[in-house]
Amino acid sequence: MSTIRIRSPASYWLAVPAAAWMLGVVVVPIVLLVWVSFWGGRAFSTASPLTFDNYARFFANQTYLKLALSTIVHTATLMAVTGVLGYCIAYFLVMKVKSPGWRTVLFLAFIVPFWTSTLIRAIAWVPFLGVNGVINQTLMFVGATNSPVEAFLYSLTGITMAQVSLYTMLAAGPVVYMLNAVAPQLREAAMTLKATPFTVFRRITFPLTLPGVVIGQVLVFLNVMSDFATVATIGGNKHALLSNLVLLFYEGSQIRAASVVAVLLMICMLVGVVVALRVVDIRRLGAER
Amino acid sequence: MIGWPKIGWKGRLSLTSWILGTITLVFLAYQWLPIFTLGLLSFSGPTGGTTFPMNGTSLHWYEELWRATVMNDFKPPLVRSSLLALACSATTVVLSVMAAQAMRGQFSGNGWFFYLMLLGIMAPGILVGFGFAIMMRLMGVELSWDTTTFLVQVSWTLPFGFLTMLAVFNRFDKKVEEAALTLGASRLTTFRRITLPLVLPGVIGAGLFGFSLSYDEYARSMFTTGPDATLPLAVMAQLDRQLTPEIYAVGTTTTFFSLIAVLFFTLAFWAMRRSTSLKKSSSA
Repeated sequence: MSTIRIRSPASYWLAVPAAAWMLGVVVVPIVLLVWVSFWGGRAFSTASPLTFDNYARFFANQTYLKLALSTIVHTATLMAVTGVLGYCIAYFLVMKVKSPGWRTVLFLAFIVPFWTSTLIRAIAWVPFLGVNGVINQTLMFVGATNSPVEAFLYSLTGITMAQVSLYTMLAAGPVVYMLNAVAPQLREAAMTLKATPFTVFRRITFPLTLPGVVIGQVLVFLNVMSDFATVATIGGNKHALLSNLVLLFYEGSQIRAASVVAVLLMICMLVGVVVALRVVDIRRLGAER
Repeated sequence: MIGWPKIGWKGRLSLTSWILGTITLVFLAYQWLPIFTLGLLSFSGPTGGTTFPMNGTSLHWYEELWRATVMNDFKPPLVRSSLLALACSATTVVLSVMAAQAMRGQFSGNGWFFYLMLLGIMAPGILVGFGFAIMMRLMGVELSWDTTTFLVQVSWTLPFGFLTMLAVFNRFDKKVEEAALTLGASRLTTFRRITLPLVLPGVIGAGLFGFSLSYDEYARSMFTTGPDATLPLAVMAQLDRQLTPEIYAVGTTTTFFSLIAVLFFTLAFWAMRRSTSLKKSSSA
C-alpha cells in the first residue's frame, strides 16, 4: 500500500504533463527535422515536394565529407583521452583515498566546476591559448621554445585541451559509481587465491566497472559531437565540426542544408548509443540500482 | 642482463597510488587554473589585455560592466536568465515529483515513459533547439525568452529532476506511508503530510538541477530566444564582437552567482535532511 494505487488512472494522469512536454518539445521537433531535410524547392512551406537532393548535395561536397571525418576523429580522440584519464581519477578517488574527509574535499573539487557554465569555462581557456597566452609565456620562460607556438588558439589542439578539462568528469562519474558498487570481498577472494594486483584489476575490477566506462564514453561522445560552443569560442571562425555546420547553415537561412547535417549528426549519435547499449545491458544496470 | 630493480607487488601498489594520485592532482589543477585565471584577469588594470601581464589591478572592468551602454549591457540578460532559471526550477520540481509518483504507480507504458525522459537528456541541445525553432516557425509563433525558451529549457531540466526523484523514491521507506493510511488518512493527506516532507531533500535537488541547467544553457536558448537575449547568449555575442577583460568580469560574476545558488540549495538540502532525521530520532 502506498500513496498511489498500482495501475490506477491517477498514476497515468500524473505522468501525462511530463510526457506531453517531452513529446511536444523533443520528439515532434526531431521528427520535423527529418521531414524538413527531405524538402525540395526553395520556399519554407509544408507543401514542399520530398526529394533526396539535399543529401546528394551534402555527399557530393568533399569539404563536408572531410569535416564529418575530422569530427569523428576528434570525438574518438577525446573519448580515448577522457576515458583513460577519467578511469585513473575515479580509481584513485574510490580505491586509494582512504580518509573520508579528503575524499569529500576531492569530490567537491571535481564536482563544483560542473555546476558552473560550460560556456564560461570554455572562455576561461582563451587567455591560456593565445600567441601571448599563459602556455606560450610559460614555454618561453622555461626555454622550451624561443618563439611562441601558434598551435593553440584557433586550432584543434586548443579545442581538445579545453574539452578534456570540460568532459573528463563525465567519463569519471559513472566509473566512480560502479567502483563503489564492487564488493571488496570479490577482490579479497581473488587476492587470497594468489592473484597479483594487476590480475585482480584485469579479471575482476575492470569487467565489473565496464558498464560505467561505456556510459561515460556515451556521455562524452554525445557532448563532444554536439559541442559547437567550445569549438566556436576557441576555434574562432577558423575551425568547424559538424555541429557548427548546422549553425552556419541555419544562420545563412539554409534550413534544408542545416536539417540534413542535423539528421546526419543524429544518425551518428544513434549508432554510437546503440553500439554502446549492445556492450552494456542497461536492464541489468537498472536491476543493480 | 640487468633489468629494472625488482620491486614486490606491495611496492608496485604504492607506486600505482603515487602515479594515480599525481594524475588526479594534475588534472585538478588543469581543471581549476583557467577558472582562477579568469577571475584574476577580470581585476586587471584599464590597459590590461586579454592575457598576462595584467597592467595593474583595478575594478575598471566591473565598473565598465555596471556603466554599460545599450550594446553590451549585461544587467537585463542577467535578470532574464535568473527569472527563467527560477521558473524552470519551479516547473521541474512540480512535474518531476508528479512523474516520479506516477512511476511508483507502474502505469502501463511506464517503460516507454522512462525512455522518453532519458531521450531528453540524450538528445543534444543543438538538435532540440533547431527542431523546436522550425516547429515554432511553422506554427507562426513568435520566439521569446519567456515563452519558447522556457518550454525548451524545461525539456532539458525535467529529466534530471525526474531521475533525482526516482532515485529518492527508490530508497523511500514505504512503511511510514502504510502506517498513515492504516490510521485512516486519505492518500492525498498522506502524500502531503508524510511523503512530501520525507522526500523534500530530493525535491530541493531537483530544483537545483532545474535552476543551474537552465541558467547555464546555451545551445537550446540560441535557437529559441527572440531579440531579448539570456545571459549566455549575451556573453557569446560580446565574445563575437570584441574580446576584452569585460568578458572575464561577466564570467566571474555569473560563476559567482551560480556558486551562490548552489550553496543556497545545498544549505537548504542539509537543513531539510537534518530536520527530517531529527524528527525520526525523536519519534523513535
